[in-house]
Amino acid sequence: MSTVATTVFDDGRASPTSATAAGGLFDRDLILKFMAAGAFWLVFAPTVGAIVAIKFNYYDFLGHVSWLSWGRLRPVHVMGVVFGGFSTTVIGLTYFIVPRLCGVPMYKPQWGYSIFWGWNIALVAGFVSLMLGYNSGIEAGEFPLWVSIPVEIVLCMVAIQVLVTIKRRTEPRLYVSLWYMAAAYIWTALNYAFGHFILPYSMPGVNNAAMHGLYIHYVVGLWITPIGLAVAYYFLPLAAKRPLYSHKLSLVGFWALAFFYPFVGTHHYIYSPIPYWTQTIAIVASMMLIIPVWTVVQNFYGTFVGGWKNFQESYAAKFIVIGALYYLLGCFQGSTEALREMQRLTHFTDFVIGHSHLTVFGTFVIWATAGMYWVTPRLARRELYSKGLAQWHYWLTVAGFSVMAGDLTLQGMMQGTMLQAGTDFVESMVAMKPYWIIRSLAGIVMDVGAALGFWNLYMTIRHGKLIEMPAAVPVDYLPEPKWS
Amino acid sequence: MSDQEDHSEATNRYDPSGIEERHGIIPTWLGIVYAAMLVWMVWYTIVFWSDKG
Repeated sequence: MSTVATTVFDDGRASPTSATAAGGLFDRDLILKFMAAGAFWLVFAPTVGAIVAIKFNYYDFLGHVSWLSWGRLRPVHVMGVVFGGFSTTVIGLTYFIVPRLCGVPMYKPQWGYSIFWGWNIALVAGFVSLMLGYNSGIEAGEFPLWVSIPVEIVLCMVAIQVLVTIKRRTEPRLYVSLWYMAAAYIWTALNYAFGHFILPYSMPGVNNAAMHGLYIHYVVGLWITPIGLAVAYYFLPLAAKRPLYSHKLSLVGFWALAFFYPFVGTHHYIYSPIPYWTQTIAIVASMMLIIPVWTVVQNFYGTFVGGWKNFQESYAAKFIVIGALYYLLGCFQGSTEALREMQRLTHFTDFVIGHSHLTVFGTFVIWATAGMYWVTPRLARRELYSKGLAQWHYWLTVAGFSVMAGDLTLQGMMQGTMLQAGTDFVESMVAMKPYWIIRSLAGIVMDVGAALGFWNLYMTIRHGKLIEMPAAVPVDYLPEPKWS
Repeated sequence: MSDQEDHSEATNRYDPSGIEERHGIIPTWLGIVYAAMLVWMVWYTIVFWSDKG
């Protein structure tokens, strides 16, 4: 059991003062800075995605400026969502979740601001470099060396902070979020170095392709998935105001992910020169991911049983629940997509893009968004600025994203069927044009929703109605705002 | 209530986060899924280990 710090702010309200410096567990100002930066990147990167999508139909959209060309902007979109929007947000949430679960402040809390500025400046440098054409050529590992080095340093620093804080914890038990978080940072500190410092400079030919498959899936399965699950598992019982359904299931989910995911990567190279047995192992591991995914989904929905009224009153709960639905759909799609017959149908089509959006955005960005909705008003000690804007954010995200994911999945299967029937590839692309227009419109709807939602959170920090606080509160006191 | 049911309903609280979790169970339907997937894994790996042309 941990003790709660009893230092009191002068006014008992949001203060720019570092809470850890005042004896608290976490630094409110630092976390809110991460939330604001994460919100910015979560508007920026999908907007670049919408521009990229429009270029499918209107290739000369934005003219012929090289740094606004499709090939330059597409990596900005991918890296922007993965490392900009999603990772910035979850690193910020790490500074909230880890101390709260360990009962001690983060190790070396003064590193936090260096990490914040180092991370965000590296991202800006990375996106500018990509637009200027400097690209290491590894998908999801595209930052050039001068950006990768500071990013790797930051990842290692946060990993050290997380691991040492866990070691120093006063809470005897490790909640499932800490397992996922510790694993995610260790795996990613290693994998990021692998993808940025080794892969681009060694292993030519098919070996490089195979390792690339592993790298990109380690980004998804050993960073985005575990850190996203850490966030969702933390905020799920708090948003549902119910105990987590099953500790036992959380054990099964974690170890099944850790065991099966490392073998998944080469499933993108079915029917390639990579040895047949390697492909088979990747297929088997992909299908076996049904075990951790269904386990997590059972745990999530089981937690809400008996607490659905809280779903109505909390945007964090709403985003967790819809994210869990997309997780179920997206991961089932991903598992079955690895099967040889499904690969024959879907490879080289937008089915794959639909799957990656369902998992990365539909599940994990949405769960990170849930964390932002839970944390931001509490740390700012202000009511959510506008319930209406939050409502628009939620429904535009759900509507836009559902249409986009459905559209990409459907068009992928149609194009795959056409190709199997012997249609010329270029003709199959022409037939996809109406679907691309729908995808672009759906993406714009999502982007508008995101812009409204994150503006709402920013305004909550700046101008939300102050929550009435007791006369003297602990420095880590978290009020109970409405709708978050 | 049996000892096993008591144990599965037992909750643990994590301070200072305030999170509670039940020890919980693995539902029967999910146990069946685990078993089916493991059987399928062994079968598929053996049958498709090498390309038979």
